[in-house]
Amino acid sequence: MARYGMLINTKKCIGCYACRTACQRQNDLLPDEAFIRFEEREEGAYPNVAVEHVPLQCMHCEDAPCASVCPTGAAHMGADGIVSVDQGRCIGCLYCMAACPYQVRSRNSQTGAVDKCRFCTVSSHENGTKMCSCVDACLTDARIFGDLDDPNSEISKAIVKEHATPLKGDLTRAKVYYVR
Amino acid sequence: MTFEPIWGSIIAWYLFLAGLGGGAYVSAAFLRWRHPEAVAMIRIGRFIAPVTVVIGLCLLMFDATAGLQHPLRFALLLTNFGSVMTWGVVFLGAFTLLSLAGAGLSLAKRDVPWGLDIAAAAFGVCVAIYTGCLLGVCKTFPLWNNALLPILFLVSALSTGMAAVLVVAIVRHPEEFNRVGVFKKFHFVLPLVELLLVASLCFVTASNASPAGYESVMSLVAGEWSVVFWLLFIVVGLVGPTLLETWLLFFSPREFEESRKAHVISFASDAGVLVGGFVLRLLVLVAAVPITMVTPWL
Repeated sequence: MARYGMLINTKKCIGCYACRTACQRQNDLLPDEAFIRFEEREEGAYPNVAVEHVPLQCMHCEDAPCASVCPTGAAHMGADGIVSVDQGRCIGCLYCMAACPYQVRSRNSQTGAVDKCRFCTVSSHENGTKMCSCVDACLTDARIFGDLDDPNSEISKAIVKEHATPLKGDLTRAKVYYVR
Repeated sequence: MTFEPIWGSIIAWYLFLAGLGGGAYVSAAFLRWRHPEAVAMIRIGRFIAPVTVVIGLCLLMFDATAGLQHPLRFALLLTNFGSVMTWGVVFLGAFTLLSLAGAGLSLAKRDVPWGLDIAAAAFGVCVAIYTGCLLGVCKTFPLWNNALLPILFLVSALSTGMAAVLVVAIVRHPEEFNRVGVFKKFHFVLPLVELLLVASLCFVTASNASPAGYESVMSLVAGEWSVVFWLLFIVVGLVGPTLLETWLLFFSPREFEESRKAHVISFASDAGVLVGGFVLRLLVLVAAVPITMVTPWL
């Protein structure tokens, strides 16, 4: 079984937010709900300055803290390694939102349940479904999705070539890699 | 980036009331052991416990919006025993049932078995500690993710539980209030221990590997929450009651200690402890900022 992950190259990211908007459309999210958030940092000293844009979303951690604290089993990891929230089990206690070190979960203001990146792009990857996922929408090809267990996949090769690592070392066993 | 706290005042009220309820039953059991003649105060403790905990549980369910819309989902709370919240549900369930039984027997003027009092008090301690562990397991917040918090919440729970019993006793049964010296001395020590724990929590958290620890402590002692922290928590909740009780317990003549004036002072001191107990929960919730990924949260 594939072990899906994503690579985000912040050197290519221009901070246009197209991925977030595409995700909101693809997943039919409410206007106040977003699965991708951005952190921006100014680097350097005048006149040599740059702004780094870092998009953050669910890292689908193999040791997901959200799933381990969820009292109802709504937040869980599927057989494909994708962490998801069973909307029919969530009571909206927000414990997972407190436990997520990346702070990338959001509460649906209508249902009160918690939701986050679903790795929806997997269906585009597996059978070429036309989607407006974050990967498809990215103008600069900053995102690569694929199987981390396949050494010949595009993502595995890119991780090696670009020396990509999870955002925060071994804080959790994250499956989203960053080039920074 | 500005951080919007995940849990607010409703959960702060819940943490405060659950701890207070646990502490109130421990007070009842302690009074029964050291002051068996204070029958009314023992009954007050047994009565306060289930009432506050049930109010707290209602607040908790009200805050869990998705569960409130689909109440059957609350049954799923017992499915993940790796979660501290699930353990909390077990402790709260057992404590609510036992304390209701104790309160019921007590109100019906029937004998409460010693075993029941001890079991309820033990679960009361579990409830108080679990409220700290609930926050403590979240790696996200350095202010929570340490072993001091559960102990601090336990001490505060015992302190507020005792204060609640004393406040009611001053109004309803002043003659018993005058006779529970040992109980009052234990109650006197708790804010001092709490002061020590809060100072340790601040020092340790401020030195956390993530800047978030420092930012959290700074927002308490010198930032957004500093007025509430110093005035309502440290002065009204801890130092004020300690000074007043030091004077009443150790430096005032016995006739004064039993006068109505002294009762008013004791009432103010215990009310201060209750205010401090709530403010502690609120501050711990709202002042905590998550660890830094790229840029610090403020």
